[in-house]
Amino acid sequence: MLAGIEPGLVKRVGLSTTRVTNLLATGGGEPAAAIIIPGPGLNYRKLALPPNSFLVGGTVDFRGRVREALNQDQLEEAAHSIAAREIKKVAVVGKFSHRNAALERQARELLLKSSPQFDIVLGSAVAGRLNFRRRLTTAYYTAVTGSSWRYFAGEIQAAFKRRGIEAPLNILKADGGTMPVETSLDRPCETVFSGPAASAMGAYGLTMDQLTSVAVDIGGTTTDLALILEGEPLQASRGALIGGQYSHIKSLAVRTIPLGGDSTVRWQGGQLTIGPDREGPAACLGGTAATPTDAFNLLNGEKLGSSRRVLESLARPSGLTAEGLAQKVIKQVVDRLEEEIQDMFRSWEQEPAYKVWEVIHKRKVKPERIVGIGAAANIFIPALSQRFHCQALVHRYSAVANALGAAIARPTLSVTLHADTERGRYFLDREGLQGKVDSQLQLAQAKQIARDHLTEMAARQGFKEYAGSYEFGLEEQFNMIRGWSTVGKLFDVTVQISPGVIKEFQGVKL
Amino acid sequence: MKKGEAVDKRPTGLVFFPAFDWAISPTHPEREERLLYTRDQLFEEGLMDLPQIREYQPRLAGVEDIARVHFCVPDVESQATEAHRIAAGGALTIADALMNGEIKNGFALVRPPGHHAMRVAHGNRGFCNINNEPIMVEYLRQKYGIKRVAIIDTDVHHGDGTQDIYWHDPDVLFISFHQDGRTLYPGSGFTHELGGPLALGTTLNVPLPPGTTDEGILYLLDQLVLPVIKEFKPELVINSAGQDNHYSDPLANMNFSARGYARLNQKLAPDIAVLEGGYSVETALPYVNMGIIMAMAGLDYSNLYEPDYRGEEFTESRGRLRRLREVVEELRPIFLNREALVARAREKYGSVARRERRIYYDTDGIDEQQEERLYLCPDCPGLLTIDSRARHRGGQKNHIYAVSIPLQGCERCRQRGLELYRENVGRAGAPWDFLYLQDRVADNYRREPGGRLA
Ligand SMILES: [Zn+2]
Ligand SMILES: [Zn+2]
Repeated sequence: MLAGIEPGLVKRVGLSTTRVTNLLATGGGEPAAAIIIPGPGLNYRKLALPPNSFLVGGTVDFRGRVREALNQDQLEEAAHSIAAREIKKVAVVGKFSHRNAALERQARELLLKSSPQFDIVLGSAVAGRLNFRRRLTTAYYTAVTGSSWRYFAGEIQAAFKRRGIEAPLNILKADGGTMPVETSLDRPCETVFSGPAASAMGAYGLTMDQLTSVAVDIGGTTTDLALILEGEPLQASRGALIGGQYSHIKSLAVRTIPLGGDSTVRWQGGQLTIGPDREGPAACLGGTAATPTDAFNLLNGEKLGSSRRVLESLARPSGLTAEGLAQKVIKQVVDRLEEEIQDMFRSWEQEPAYKVWEVIHKRKVKPERIVGIGAAANIFIPALSQRFHCQALVHRYSAVANALGAAIARPTLSVTLHADTERGRYFLDREGLQGKVDSQLQLAQAKQIARDHLTEMAARQGFKEYAGSYEFGLEEQFNMIRGWSTVGKLFDVTVQISPGVIKEFQGVKL
Repeated sequence: MKKGEAVDKRPTGLVFFPAFDWAISPTHPEREERLLYTRDQLFEEGLMDLPQIREYQPRLAGVEDIARVHFCVPDVESQATEAHRIAAGGALTIADALMNGEIKNGFALVRPPGHHAMRVAHGNRGFCNINNEPIMVEYLRQKYGIKRVAIIDTDVHHGDGTQDIYWHDPDVLFISFHQDGRTLYPGSGFTHELGGPLALGTTLNVPLPPGTTDEGILYLLDQLVLPVIKEFKPELVINSAGQDNHYSDPLANMNFSARGYARLNQKLAPDIAVLEGGYSVETALPYVNMGIIMAMAGLDYSNLYEPDYRGEEFTESRGRLRRLREVVEELRPIFLNREALVARAREKYGSVARRERRIYYDTDGIDEQQEERLYLCPDCPGLLTIDSRARHRGGQKNHIYAVSIPLQGCERCRQRGLELYRENVGRAGAPWDFLYLQDRVADNYRREPGGRLA
């Protein structure tokens, strides 16, 4: 791709890699264990847990108060078992550890005393928002993938260096933003599902306006859908699915459908089916099976090669003509895509709401444009956009839009602060950071603290030029009343650098 | 579960609506903070990620959904704010999901609560303006043709609003167990309160001695509530699920635990639970709500406990158990002989049964004077008229007249009701500010200014 470009001219490298996604899909990575400190609630003995999981007593409550001490006997027993299995990677995850990491830290200390070979990931360091199960998943898979990712990242850096490219290396994340490769070393799981994120950001880069777009990336056997709502890439309400469980990895709301340009078309029990498999390239491109690409090709003058023969032989038993079958195939694909897109909008509209204001002001948004991405984009996009009575965009860069997305995505960073003035403390959802607050803390100050941390983190990670592009998301404050008087306040504040494009990118010509 | 019974794999529906931007007043128990720690606990536990739970967004209840149950004075809009309509709407959302077969059961974990709101609503009493369960039940009956429903009120306070709404309805079984009215708001709910003359025995009240524990409440469930439900054969069982029986509740004096609540819901197996009261925001609610959801979803709750729970401190006393046994022995025969009781009441009252009451609205400081007339009918639960005058704290007065034709009303009663309404709307010099018509047969609700304004 860089052929003919002077290495010194490369100012920035954006990399979208399936390395961790593949590791997780194939069950690769290093064996890891999980020490789980669940306290009261669900019975974790009855739930599907990662392999080598150990339950240890100890309770932190929602206010971050330690209510039951760490059960050191159980911890010691777990440490023995883990060491006996020759496992080195250990995730230690406690319920509400993001409100007080004391038990997790104490466990780490004790584990390292008895088993100094352990390499320990704390839940509070990698996943600091509410949801213990997602924290467990995130921490566990961070432990599993850490070393492989570290190794891979080192190789990539060396490879670029050998080619004389010294530019900073940025890794694309599932949320449509990037992080410097150095940051990724502690947070390997954030690189999962960056493929669909790249195409969504590609669509974003091709449009960059306030319209509501659907990015449709039609590949060989799958199609990725993503939503850009009024100019903002939509984030999933739940984290990325890893190992069948939700995680705390922020991710764009993308949906992958097992349906693509090369999906095999066949009759099954009198029904025309498309995919989910692929037998090879489309017939018009030298393959043997009929595909949606062939259907499109036939109806558009067979510019790509011959599709008629396979479609005719497939159509014959049903009494259809080749053209009739082709139209049926196209319709079926477009039907399916339309249905999935409608469902994505519906899911977004049906997100739970916890405030009167939110319920009253629920919006209904309609797609205003379908953006085609990938080589096969022009096949279905016009027909699909007609269904929604909206614009279609198939740009001349559509075929490389996901590479564009990876290259132009800017860093993202989100910091959520939880402050409890009665306890006099605040907690961040990153790196297990916390600090003191006084009892008179006001919302404006809570926001300031969160913003200062965001600025500091951005600078530390080498992208302070984006620190100014922050916006506040969640802003909540609650008075704590005991009896009839106020004893403190609770604040939850999120400040973030949202997905967007790097400063150098000015958009593309249509 | 019995052998051979199929496991219902469908999820439990959940509407969680904590109304984080709504309070009666900043320091009132019914304030923004009430379900905050419940949110933390449910979210931290990741309950909504489980396949056993399906979360729904609440909708707004319509004006007609509220008018189907209440005579709101002066109108629905002034009694039901958006928050109230969303809480009631959350219950409707669960009702729809249940009837569509999407869920096996459901919990409307919503605020503000409703079980003290009576048929005539002049204002807020016991933190309630409109009553979520009857709004849901009447919607279910109207839309889905449900006839028989059991509402079990497990709040520590007597569900006097729900009792009032179903007082004359023999097809809705209402059982409330609560802390003895001599020691707690609203001061009612005694064993002699059994329903109107034509619905005697389908309202049952169990005053619990202060201090009653899990054991006592589960005893009552096994010995009275469950057998009565079984005999009544309702199509749906509703738990009016207050959580102020908890040992830590600041407004009451009972000793129920989170696991006790879970056990209660497992045994009761309600089709729908709707949150009512419960004001121990940190010590009880996060755990009790977990317990209800876990029990309804069939999740193992053996690891659920309040961090400060010391079970050994809460053993049931012999005295309380004896008291409960007496109540069970008093009420079971009443329920079983309810037809004879109704027959006797018919003889006693003849054609019209009158009831005069004073109702006090603690939150809003309203004093209501009510006269109810039930026109006894051999074919239906009878036509009901209400004359109600309310005096507000500020001196404002409202006087209304309401005609209620019951859902099961016969055509004769219905015509008589329509006639009464028409006559009185047109009557010059009549004393009422507003007249109301509730025609449940036609699902038609009207309100017009009375002669006094004309
Ligand atoms: Zn109550
Ligand atoms: Zn009648």
